[in-house]
Amino acid sequence: MTFPLGPLLPLIALIAPLAIGLLAAIPATRARSLALLPLAPLPALALAFFGTQDETTLAPDLLLGVTLTLDGNARYFLGFVALLWMGAGLYATAYMRDKPKIAPFVGFWCMTLCGNLGVFLAADIITFYVSFAVVSLCAYLLVVHDGTQRALHAGIVYIVLAVLGETCLLLGFLIGAAAADSLLIVDVRIALTDAPGGEAAIALLIVGFGLKAGMFPFHVWLPLAHPAAPVPASAVLSGAIVKAGIFGLMQFLPMESGLSLWGALLVITGLVSAYYGVAVGLTQRNPKSVLAYSTISQMGLVLALIGAAAGATPADNLAAATLLSLHHGFAKGALFLSVGIVAASGRRAAVPALAAAALLALSVAGFPGTGGALAKAAMKAHIADPIVYWLVTLSAIGTTLLLARFVMTLAAQVSAQERARPSPIMTASFVALAVAALVSPWFFFTDLAGLPLAYSLSASSILNGLWPVLVGGAIAAAFLRISPSVPSIPEGDLVTPVTKWLRRLDGAARRGRSRLEDLPRPDPGVLAAPLWRAASVAERAFARWSFAGLLMAAGALGVLIALSLQ
Amino acid sequence: MIAVTACLVLPLAAALAAIPLGRRAPRLALVAAPLILLAALAVATEIWRTGPAQLPVGGWLPPLGIALVVDGLSAAFLLTGAIVTGAVVLFATSIFSTPDRETRAGFAFWPLLLAMWGALNAVFLSGDLFNLYVALELLTLTAVALVALDGRRETVAAAIRYMLFALFGSLAYLLGVTLIYARYGALDIALLRILAEPDAPTFVAAALMTIGLAAKTALFPFHAWLPPAHAGAPAPASAMLSALVTKASFYIVVRIWFDVLPVAGNEALAMILGAMGVGAILFGSVLAIGQERLKLVVAYSTVAQLGYLFLMFPLAGSGGEAQPWAAGAWNGGVVHALSHAFAKAAMFLCAGLFAEAIGHDRMDGLKGVARTMPLTVFAFGLAAISLMGLPPSGGFTAKYLLLTAAFAGGNHFFALVMLAGGLLAAIYLFRPLERAFAKPAEGSDITPIARWRQAVPLVLAGAAIALGVFSAVPFDLLRIGRADAAQEGLE
Amino acid sequence: MNTALPVLLLATSLVPALVTFFLREESERKRNAVNLAGAFAKLGLVVVMLDGVRRGEDYEFRFAFVPGLEMLLQVDALALLFVTLSAFLWLLTTIYAIAYFRGGSDLSRFFGFFSLCVAATTGIALSGTLITFFIFYELLTLSTWPLVVHKGDAKSLAAGRRYLAYTLAGSAVLLLAIVWLESMTGPVEFAAPSDLRRLDDMTLRFVFALFVLGIGVKAAIFPLHGWLPTAMAAPAPVSALLHAVAVVKAGAFGIVRVIYDVFGIALVAELGVGLPLAFVASFTILYGSVRALQQRDIKKRLAYSTVSQVSYIILGAALAGPFATIGGLVHLVHQGLMKITMFFCAGIFAERAGITSIDGLAGMGRRMPWTAIAFSVAALGMIGVPPIAGFVTKWYLGIGALQAGQTWVIAVLAGSALLNAAYFLPLIYRLWYQPGEDIVRADAQALERPLALIAPPVVTAAAALLAGLMAGLALSPLGWATLIVERTYWP
Repeated sequence: MTFPLGPLLPLIALIAPLAIGLLAAIPATRARSLALLPLAPLPALALAFFGTQDETTLAPDLLLGVTLTLDGNARYFLGFVALLWMGAGLYATAYMRDKPKIAPFVGFWCMTLCGNLGVFLAADIITFYVSFAVVSLCAYLLVVHDGTQRALHAGIVYIVLAVLGETCLLLGFLIGAAAADSLLIVDVRIALTDAPGGEAAIALLIVGFGLKAGMFPFHVWLPLAHPAAPVPASAVLSGAIVKAGIFGLMQFLPMESGLSLWGALLVITGLVSAYYGVAVGLTQRNPKSVLAYSTISQMGLVLALIGAAAGATPADNLAAATLLSLHHGFAKGALFLSVGIVAASGRRAAVPALAAAALLALSVAGFPGTGGALAKAAMKAHIADPIVYWLVTLSAIGTTLLLARFVMTLAAQVSAQERARPSPIMTASFVALAVAALVSPWFFFTDLAGLPLAYSLSASSILNGLWPVLVGGAIAAAFLRISPSVPSIPEGDLVTPVTKWLRRLDGAARRGRSRLEDLPRPDPGVLAAPLWRAASVAERAFARWSFAGLLMAAGALGVLIALSLQ
Repeated sequence: MIAVTACLVLPLAAALAAIPLGRRAPRLALVAAPLILLAALAVATEIWRTGPAQLPVGGWLPPLGIALVVDGLSAAFLLTGAIVTGAVVLFATSIFSTPDRETRAGFAFWPLLLAMWGALNAVFLSGDLFNLYVALELLTLTAVALVALDGRRETVAAAIRYMLFALFGSLAYLLGVTLIYARYGALDIALLRILAEPDAPTFVAAALMTIGLAAKTALFPFHAWLPPAHAGAPAPASAMLSALVTKASFYIVVRIWFDVLPVAGNEALAMILGAMGVGAILFGSVLAIGQERLKLVVAYSTVAQLGYLFLMFPLAGSGGEAQPWAAGAWNGGVVHALSHAFAKAAMFLCAGLFAEAIGHDRMDGLKGVARTMPLTVFAFGLAAISLMGLPPSGGFTAKYLLLTAAFAGGNHFFALVMLAGGLLAAIYLFRPLERAFAKPAEGSDITPIARWRQAVPLVLAGAAIALGVFSAVPFDLLRIGRADAAQEGLE
Repeated sequence: MNTALPVLLLATSLVPALVTFFLREESERKRNAVNLAGAFAKLGLVVVMLDGVRRGEDYEFRFAFVPGLEMLLQVDALALLFVTLSAFLWLLTTIYAIAYFRGGSDLSRFFGFFSLCVAATTGIALSGTLITFFIFYELLTLSTWPLVVHKGDAKSLAAGRRYLAYTLAGSAVLLLAIVWLESMTGPVEFAAPSDLRRLDDMTLRFVFALFVLGIGVKAAIFPLHGWLPTAMAAPAPVSALLHAVAVVKAGAFGIVRVIYDVFGIALVAELGVGLPLAFVASFTILYGSVRALQQRDIKKRLAYSTVSQVSYIILGAALAGPFATIGGLVHLVHQGLMKITMFFCAGIFAERAGITSIDGLAGMGRRMPWTAIAFSVAALGMIGVPPIAGFVTKWYLGIGALQAGQTWVIAVLAGSALLNAAYFLPLIYRLWYQPGEDIVRADAQALERPLALIAPPVVTAAAALLAGLMAGLALSPLGWATLIVERTYWP
């Protein structure tokens, strides 16, 4: 046994959630474990704020030698994700209080959290892979927590895609690690550039991470899983877990050495996701599904930004992507929480919640003055290609529309009980996250956007942020007036035809097999029987005295002839 | 060497004494058996210490007198015979002791068994072709009588067929001996080895002797008398017949081709013997598979197993000139004969116990005996392992040696036959075992068998296994006075 | 050099086997005590040796069969890997079996053969020469058969027949390979392999193929796997042992020995036989998974999964780079831990809740939480979900394949992982998320009883988890496999 080397806080940050999860498994502490949920990400948060940059923690006995570091963008990711988990955890203490199956919820919540944090801290590929797998698979248990038919269906789609994604990642990592002859992520990233099969590895990684980040056409799990999960789980799924995919792409794609082809591809799929998410999201009736499609759309923008980073000034682009993720994490987390709050509110209490949700929606759309506007500004500053630039700018119209749709569907969720009020804890955590979304980008803008704060306050950038939102708002208002009937696309759009097709294929395979199995098979006994019968007949002849005498004479003669052959 | 004489005299004397003793014969046998065993052991240790020996009978050495010859080969057979027969004696006491009334079988069994023992020892110790004939005749007569012991119609028929085959064999052998004597004027093995020349009279004599002995050994295709005879005899007698009586004539064939007439042998002869061996292995095994009576399975297994013995001739390189691998094949053949003796005796005794317990020896009656007679099934299983040639057992060591010789000599075909024979043996031996392990049939009642009687075959089967594990000792014993044609060191 | 320890290691299971055979059925306590004592003693010895071997100590015991043919028991790192696994799992399986069979019949027989089976496995691991290997390999075949047919019903008897048909044919081929090779080179010793380069390439290729065919039967390589799914008719502890420790592992271990210690990696590469073997193994991996997907019976699905998983070991050995070898060797342990857990659990489901089909698992998670958790952990590990042991294997195999330039292998790994997920996840899903039938017996507690039945799978599942989580430890399976490979590649 070797004692871990280096600062212990990163290890503690990972172990703390597990320890709390363990409390949920012990019968004695099971009942009270829920109250501890908000504490689980605390060490991670402390690490994000006070941790020392670029120091390595080594635990050689664990896995293939766990190596943890905290560098650059990881610190921001770690920070906002920890905060988001904390807010959602606080919310969960109230939201889940009277629900059944508390212990599994707490246990898997903590494991998912641990995996999610591990993704940001891992410096070696194995730790990263393990963390990523843990977050992927444990999140499944959050998705299906309610155990309803719908949740289970969503779970199946989720797990199939998650396993596929994990497999793609494993293959990509294998190629990278074999080429690098090292397990450190830094080495692997560099080695991927000209490794044999490096291109394939990059493609696999893009699929694997993109799948987690809701990249078209692998996005289908999001609109199924997010609505199915309990509210706080949806919040972390959309706000934090999806970011693991984004972070993975940032970590592993060898941007420095330029990968124009893959970059272009990422930009294109990112933009497709952005618009596709809006298009399908507009047809949704469930506010959580609308939010899920919005996440697809927003993550599409982040993917496009990362794609645009390839070859250019990657560090800046990635920092901007970090800012975008940070804002989206808080905002989307808060928006998901608002669904639970509105549903628990009577008409009067719902109004402020709806107003806050609308404000957050504006922030996501990039309304000037909001945190979202800063993030968008940082993004646009780093997009050189004019077409992409315009497409990104125009997407804000779609975002506005989509979130307007969200607010409308949300308003329909208000509780029928006039006096119903959400618990203060729920409200508090919602407010905290909303404030974080609106305010925190102000603090990090300079660092992450690489621009002075004044940039975002310039007239051009205000105008730039304002008009798409106004256009979107106008369309939405017009839409409300006309209120045409909107076709409804089932959640998870592509899933429906694909499952149908798979079922048909399975049926055909089954029929083919049963036909094969009906073929008659020769019985080995049947083959042996004639042999035995022939031998028995011969045996009767050998036993006959005359025949045996002849045989002996013949034998003697044979031996004689043989001997005289000398 | 008094022990050698004891080996001959003790059993014969006991046989004579058993006739008047009648009901008390089993007790006599129980006293005589350990003494004979001790004598055999003494012979073996003596050989071990001082090497091969030639003992004049009545003080005259050949060519004037006749001699008893003891070397490693004879000592090994002597000892094996003594152990097997001793076990059979012990086993038989509870069957053929008739305290309340005298039966024909109970009366005849003991003198016949003891005389058979004497005849066997005489075969193993004779250094002279005519002596061998006499011993062989005595052996045949006792064997035929034992087959007919229970006097049922079919066993008497089997005994008569056996006698016909055996008489023909004896005649052929005697004719050969006569020719040899006419040609060389000598019958002593050691002398003949020096005198023998490859000429026509020798060839004719050799051909007659070989075929005659092959018929007595029940080598395919002269085997048809064996299954009904061995299956029909009482279990202890079957054990003796299958384990030892067939080996006696095989022993003489080995003596003839390796000690007496190696000069006359050639590859063609070896191939003929080998071909008959192959036929025996395949034919016997196939027939064993289909049998519905356990004793017939075991008997056909003997037919098949005897085939392996004759593969020794082609594999040792024709018997004529020694080959590098000759020692391997020779040892393999002999070890096979010895381990088969143990295993087959054990198996027949087991079959006897099963028959006693369930009242018949049909295979379907064996269902569930693994639960009621675990020791016997265990013994049967151990014996089966040796017969299949699976390790660790004497059967395996033998097969390994034969196989290696086959490959080294380029006789791949024989190797394949041996492997096929092993697989076939597995099929016919696992059939009864499988039934033993099946769930007992409803309402089957079983006569309980004393544990000590179940232990007897277990000891014999254990010996077959031990021959494989501790094979260094018998191997060294066999090396003593081994025939030139089977020497290694010619590499 | 220590000669006593290898023998003692063998004796710890051989002696209990022999003692148990002769215990009466009723003396349950004595039987349990003997078996448990043996298992604990073995584990203790293993711990002592683990330390010794790491320090580079030699443990060796020689014993001559016949001149030139030696039994050699030696403990090297590879042997100890296998022995440690079998010692650990034997203890747990014994505890499990005692609880499983409480009140059953034929238990002395069962536990006797059970221990014998472990003794044979230990012998295989410790074998230092080909012939020693073969002996124990056959002992394994023979001692497993009574376990497979233990129930004695028609189904298990048929399974036993099939098992023997495959394995005995396989061992005939193996014997052929051994004899052929040794007839050219003399006895082969693993630690000091003779230089085969002077032999003709084609012959060597042929011999290699025979080795793979012969051993591949036990390792259940396609198309020699047919016996394995049928052998499911055996009681759960037997299946557990068969799949995790004894039979299939012996096969895989044997192939590793043949590649590394008989032919040597360099020669295998020169002959170009590694790649075809890797193809066969890869095909088996995928084929087994597809077949598993088609099964509705839990144990059958697990059986086909074994077919698939064991070929990982062979794939690792066939690819023959250091990383691939580590992957293969470590899977020897990992697969054992995970598969035995699943069979334990399948046995508990069948025995305590009467569930044998996959659909029956619905809702069992809540009724039998511990069993279900152990089962789920093992199944996830099989899929390769980190941090459970299985992923370490896949990682090393993948890196090894890439190092060897066989990129296609990672596609096989990916395909297999997906298929594994496809046939294991539905089981977990049913356990936890499908509503079960209404609980008739309200006391869910009663299902997970006694402790001795439930604890073993929980322990093995925890071990599987720890093997992955603490893979960096020097004494983890991975650490040990690395040690072996370091000694193989950089001696």
